[in-house]
Amino acid sequence: MSATSPSRSAVFSMLQLRGGWALVRGLWLSWLQYRSFFFLLAFGWMIPPLIAMLVWMAAAGDGSLQGLNRANLAAYYLALILVNQVTYAQTNWTVGDLIRTGELNRVLLRPIPPLYDALASEFAGKVVYLVFDLPVVAVLAMILRPEMHWTLPGLLAFLPALVFAWALRFLWGYWLALLAFWTTRADALLGLQDTLVFLLAGQVAPLALLPPTMQYIAHLLPFRYMLAFPVEVLSGQMDTRQMFTGFAMQLAWLLFSALLTLLCWRLGVRRYTAVGG
Amino acid sequence: MTQSLINVHNLTKTYRVPVRPAGLWAAARSLLHPTYEDVPAVRQVSFSIQPGEMVGLIGPNGAGKTTMLKMLCGLLHPSAGEASVAGFIPWQRQPAYLRSISMLMGNKSQMLWDIPPLDSLRVLGEIYAVPPVELRRKLDELIELLEMQELLNKPVRNLSLGERMKCELAGGLLYSPQVLFLDEPTLGLDVSMQIRLRRYLAECNQRTGVTVLLTSHYMADVMALCRRVILIHHGQVLYDGELNGLAHKMAPFKLLRVTLRVEDFQGQALPADLPNGVELIEQQAGILTLRAPRALAAAATACLLQSLPVADLSVEDPAIEAVIDQVYQAGAV
Repeated sequence: MSATSPSRSAVFSMLQLRGGWALVRGLWLSWLQYRSFFFLLAFGWMIPPLIAMLVWMAAAGDGSLQGLNRANLAAYYLALILVNQVTYAQTNWTVGDLIRTGELNRVLLRPIPPLYDALASEFAGKVVYLVFDLPVVAVLAMILRPEMHWTLPGLLAFLPALVFAWALRFLWGYWLALLAFWTTRADALLGLQDTLVFLLAGQVAPLALLPPTMQYIAHLLPFRYMLAFPVEVLSGQMDTRQMFTGFAMQLAWLLFSALLTLLCWRLGVRRYTAVGG
Repeated sequence: MTQSLINVHNLTKTYRVPVRPAGLWAAARSLLHPTYEDVPAVRQVSFSIQPGEMVGLIGPNGAGKTTMLKMLCGLLHPSAGEASVAGFIPWQRQPAYLRSISMLMGNKSQMLWDIPPLDSLRVLGEIYAVPPVELRRKLDELIELLEMQELLNKPVRNLSLGERMKCELAGGLLYSPQVLFLDEPTLGLDVSMQIRLRRYLAECNQRTGVTVLLTSHYMADVMALCRRVILIHHGQVLYDGELNGLAHKMAPFKLLRVTLRVEDFQGQALPADLPNGVELIEQQAGILTLRAPRALAAAATACLLQSLPVADLSVEDPAIEAVIDQVYQAGAV
């Protein structure tokens, strides 16, 4: 490190990570008071993919559907359950309330970036959900005997695909939630996002089982890249070209939602602080 | 002027409020053709506050006090005018600025609802980057002063309003801010806690030189803490100066309190030669209270002593609450 570059503690202080970490700790302390609520929430999110898995496993019978047998379908859906919990941005449901009730004042008065509030909630949430999910998925795996054809490139590419999927799902929901600066009920748009993720992101069915037109639409829209893409990367269903195209689409949508988030935040806060909170 | 910590120049805030008549039809029509009205909340307000001053911002409900505080702490953009606090433009909300101020408002809670206040206070200490040793010292000081020992281990949601206010205050003072904006700081506190808090704020001000801008509907807060008051009404400054001078400026009259000798009191009328402008405002069991313009107070006193069986007579300035009530009701000086 050169003498002119900032030291690690300077970077730490510049990014005000100490404050961000304190927010995470505060949330964990709060959530420990009603942990069963979070476990029930995580259980609720697990149900739709579990039902879809059982339906498709029954449909496959002893044969296969588009090359996926019962064990492949079990593996696909168990991976999808975990990826769904990691990428689901529950924080976005609270952003509209912060804006409507004026609670955003508390966030705006803190000497740390306001986005930290949402990021801390996301990070704290993931840890709590995974404490519940990992044992449940492990038990299901023992019962269902999943089979997945791992490949090294697939395994290596899974982690970035997962991180980008979370970032995309979070930022896409965040900019929608920020519309609460203008309309009082932006939550409906988050509900619509969930529905589209259910239909087009491999939950109701693996994309390979959808009709060709639906598959085409799913590959164009951002929702596949929030959930199905990392699972497909992990299960080695794609060749190198498909994987690169997938990453390019995922990053393009991520960049687009980051820009929309920035725009909505800048204009929204300006509006919020102009009309009073 | 350049040494002032808070400089406000022609600060103006106008809210654009949607208006529509009542009824479903009007509601439907307003979807297509919304109409708005400009509501001025703060109008060309200018003042400056020196470091270490404690200033009371007073005025009736809706006068613009909270709008003023929200602009100064950076939560509101003004419609026009300028302000600087501690060298920063508040509404740019730079982290260094936010670390140097504390804004305590009734509807803003820094405490996390489900956990004991001590945990919340520690989280706040981290957010404001208070060094660990300093954080421990400050926490001990505040806990003792605000008598919070018994509250520390209960979840915030189980605390009473006054107890929560104590926690908010501790949170607001934890990082030793340079400027304190206090919106109704004693709301919900019992009388002895109010007194202790005022004493602590005064001590804090003397010891650390913290500058305080305070709004309160309890004049006792203002009288105990602020030598200077800024009275705003309808968004404009009506008075800016010493609290003691407020009565003189805003209420140009004196109160004459006359106790009559009961055995000689026949229920007679006021003397006919009492100067014009002097009026009887209260009469109870041989005690009369009259209001006289300052210039006529001496003549009125002489006249009363001559004409009535006076046992005792005092000439007083009206109580500050009465003066302010008069201003609030009249809406002008």
